[in-house]
Amino acid sequence: MDPLLLLLVFLKASALSIGGLSSLPLLRADLVIPGFATDEQVVQAIAIGRISTGPNGLYIVSLGYLVGGITGAAMALAAATFPPLVVVPAAALARKWLLTTPVAGLVRGVALATAGLLVATGLGIVNATGAPAWWQIALAAIATVLTYRGTIHPAFVIAIGVAAGLALGR
Amino acid sequence: MSAREFGEVWALSQLSPGIHLVALAGLIGQRVAGWRGAVASVAGMMIPAAAITVGLTAAYGLVAAAPLAKSALAGLAPVTGGMTIATAALLVRATARRGARHAIADVAVAAATAAASMLFGIPTVAAIAAGAAIGALALGRERSPSRETPMG
Repeated sequence: MDPLLLLLVFLKASALSIGGLSSLPLLRADLVIPGFATDEQVVQAIAIGRISTGPNGLYIVSLGYLVGGITGAAMALAAATFPPLVVVPAAALARKWLLTTPVAGLVRGVALATAGLLVATGLGIVNATGAPAWWQIALAAIATVLTYRGTIHPAFVIAIGVAAGLALGR
Repeated sequence: MSAREFGEVWALSQLSPGIHLVALAGLIGQRVAGWRGAVASVAGMMIPAAAITVGLTAAYGLVAAAPLAKSALAGLAPVTGGMTIATAALLVRATARRGARHAIADVAVAAATAAASMLFGIPTVAAIAAGAAIGALALGRERSPSRETPMG
C-alpha cells in the first residue's frame, strides 16, 4: 500500500475519533473492507497495543507496521501524534470558546456515536472468521466483563485468550 | 502547576481528536516550558512506546506463521472483540450525563449508531458526523445544579 495513502487513512482515523481505540471503526472500514489489511492483523495489533506500554491508541503503530513495515509504523505514529495536538494552539487562542455547551455536546455526540460503532466493530471482529464456536462466544463475554471492570491487567486477559485458543482452536 | 490548572488542562485534552493522552502531554508541556516543553513531553511519551510496540509486533511476526500461533489467534480474536465492546461501554459510562432523561438520550444515540451500523451498514464517517450534529444541537447541556440539589 502506498505510504502516503496509508498516512492519509491513519490521519483521517485519528482526526475523526475521540479517544484511543475510537479510531478502530474508521480504520477497519478503510483498511480491512478494501483488502489492504485483514481482521487477523487488526486482532494482532489490538492485542499488542494492549500489552505494550503507552496509550492504547498506539495499536495503530502496530497495525501500521503489519500493513507497511517500518514506514507504515512511522506513518501511524505521525497520525497518532499530530491530530490531538491541535488542541494546544486551540487552547491558547480560544480557551473560553472550547469550554462552551455546544462544543461539549459535539464532543459527547461524537464519543457516543463512536461507542455505537465500536460495538458493531467488536461484534464484527468476533464474527470475522465465520460463526464463532460456543467457547469463542464465552471468551468474548469474559473479555468484555474483565475489561469493563478493569481490575485485571489486559495482558492477563489476552493470555486467557491465547491459552483457550491453544487448547480449543482448530 | 496548580490542581485547578491541571483540571482545566485535563478538560481541554478530553476535547481533542485522537489520543487524549497526547493532547494532555502537549498541553502540560506547553504550560510548563513553552513549545519546547510540548515537543519534549509528547516525544518522551510516544517515541519509546512506539518503539516497544514495533518491537513486539516484529517479534510476533517471527512466530505468526506457526500452526500454534494460528490456534492462539482463534482465542485472541474473540478476546480483542470483547475488549472493543467493553471500550464502547466504558466510553458511554465516561460520556453519558447524570440524570435519567439525559442519560437515556445519551445511551440512545450510542445504541442507534450501533444499530444503524450493523443493520443498515451506514458509513462510519456519516455516523460520526450525525453524532457530532446531534451532540452540538442537543447533548451539550448538563442538568442544572439547582434542580439536582433537593431543596429543604
